[in-house]
Amino acid sequence: MVDFAIYALTIIAVWAVMAISLNIQFGMTGLVNFGQILPFAIGAYAVGIATELDAPWWAGALAGLVAAPLAGLLVILPARRSSQDYWALITLGFGELFRLTMLNVPSIAGGADGVTVSRLGDRNLALGLSLALLLVAYLAAQRIGNGPLGRFLRVIREDEVLAATLGRNPMSYRSTVTAVSWMMAGAAGVLYAYVIGYIAPTSFLVTDTFIVWTAVILGGPGRNIGVVIGAAILILMSVSTRFLADWSGLPSDLVANLRLALFGLVLVLMFLFRPEGLFPETRRIRDVDGR
Amino acid sequence: MLTVADVSLAFGGFQALRGVGMTAGAGEIVGLVGPNGSGKSTLLNVIAGLYLPDAGEVGLDGAPLPLGRIEAVAQRGVGRTFQVPRLAQRLSVFDNMMVGATDQPGERLFDLFLRPARVAAAEARAAERATAVLRRLDLLHKANSLAGSLSGGQQKLLTMGVLLMSEPKLMLLDEPAAGVNPVLIAQQVDFLRALREEGKAIIVVEHNMDMISRLCDRVYVLDAGVIIAEGTPAEVRANELVVRSYLGQPA
Repeated sequence: MVDFAIYALTIIAVWAVMAISLNIQFGMTGLVNFGQILPFAIGAYAVGIATELDAPWWAGALAGLVAAPLAGLLVILPARRSSQDYWALITLGFGELFRLTMLNVPSIAGGADGVTVSRLGDRNLALGLSLALLLVAYLAAQRIGNGPLGRFLRVIREDEVLAATLGRNPMSYRSTVTAVSWMMAGAAGVLYAYVIGYIAPTSFLVTDTFIVWTAVILGGPGRNIGVVIGAAILILMSVSTRFLADWSGLPSDLVANLRLALFGLVLVLMFLFRPEGLFPETRRIRDVDGR
Repeated sequence: MLTVADVSLAFGGFQALRGVGMTAGAGEIVGLVGPNGSGKSTLLNVIAGLYLPDAGEVGLDGAPLPLGRIEAVAQRGVGRTFQVPRLAQRLSVFDNMMVGATDQPGERLFDLFLRPARVAAAEARAAERATAVLRRLDLLHKANSLAGSLSGGQQKLLTMGVLLMSEPKLMLLDEPAAGVNPVLIAQQVDFLRALREEGKAIIVVEHNMDMISRLCDRVYVLDAGVIIAEGTPAEVRANELVVRSYLGQPA
């Protein structure tokens, strides 16, 4: 049971980093990214490919940390002149493109069979690393969100034309945010690969992107601590469905599908009744001597 | 300061501007009037870089403005407000003011993480200016309200304040008085006059002829994309063409 708790906490930390990475893109900047699983997958596959090449562990980690933000900048290139709706489609498309390539070209990383990575043997170390990554990602996101950069990102979210009339190029801010966000997600992917010890295309489905989205919308878009709690709630719900399956005797794939339906329900209910999330974005209060 | 020469722009088959020329100097308030659809806002959009004209030139201080590039025009010192106020609605009034400042080291990752002292100093400078401008606009007591919660008139005042944070040379104001109560209009007039004294060039698009008369040094009248008259407010009001096309028959 202790082992399971450590495992659950590790996974929560990894997904909380994902939620933060989407939060600075969507929550703060308003970028609708339906392919946030892509940088995660790139991070994980970098580890997988490095393992296949017998490269040291840090080479894979470094490759993941560099490749993910670069891929982000590449993906948003075609979105440069497009409106928000296309961002969703373009990011979704690139995510699937990567997954299907990995699935269908076994020479890269084992195709559907995937790659086995030397797993972090020490579970406590895995937990420690995950929590450390979460802390770094959280502090960085807080510094961005509470500072001048986050303030301007929110202007872009509210009104892009206004952002441009203020003399700044919204696209360069989006590029910055995307690079930071994808690096975080890439780091989460690297860690995930070493924690799970196995990488296959089935781990990087569109539904995984939507789990991150559900975490952000449940927790509160724009609020870092909110999305971390959102991720924690979702992952706890997710792991507890396993116990439900054992207890109820229902087939496990039925329970897995029910779990996705439950996430969908969470999403719908939040949109209907609390679109600002459980922990809404706060406004900064200034101490000004009003008259 | 500003020279607009021979600007033409068509949207599909609709000729919005035909060979329009105008000027505005430092310390001058220029009015732009005309019937709805005559091309006033379109002209402002061309100057501000929102629209790329089919022909013509726009220059500021003798150098051409980068047409069609909003942020580049803004960086040259041209600020624009909109008929429907554009604000970050879910940010506080004070934060809206703060983003108006142009010196923002804290918007760059490097400075944000590695030079906190520099970021803090720039923030303090901007905050001081924002407080001063808000006080001048009589909006300081609203500093912590969400911009979206202000009345329409207050939002228009706030957009002017945001504009001032960037210390523009030329301000383009699109219908600042529309839907604003008379007290706030009087406040705007005083405020704009004070800005004129500070040497700013201001172009005002407005239907409120009373405001135009009280405020403007010169007025251009647009009709169907053509400038049909130019002169002092009194001259323009007496112009027969203007009366026929825009102001209506005198009683």
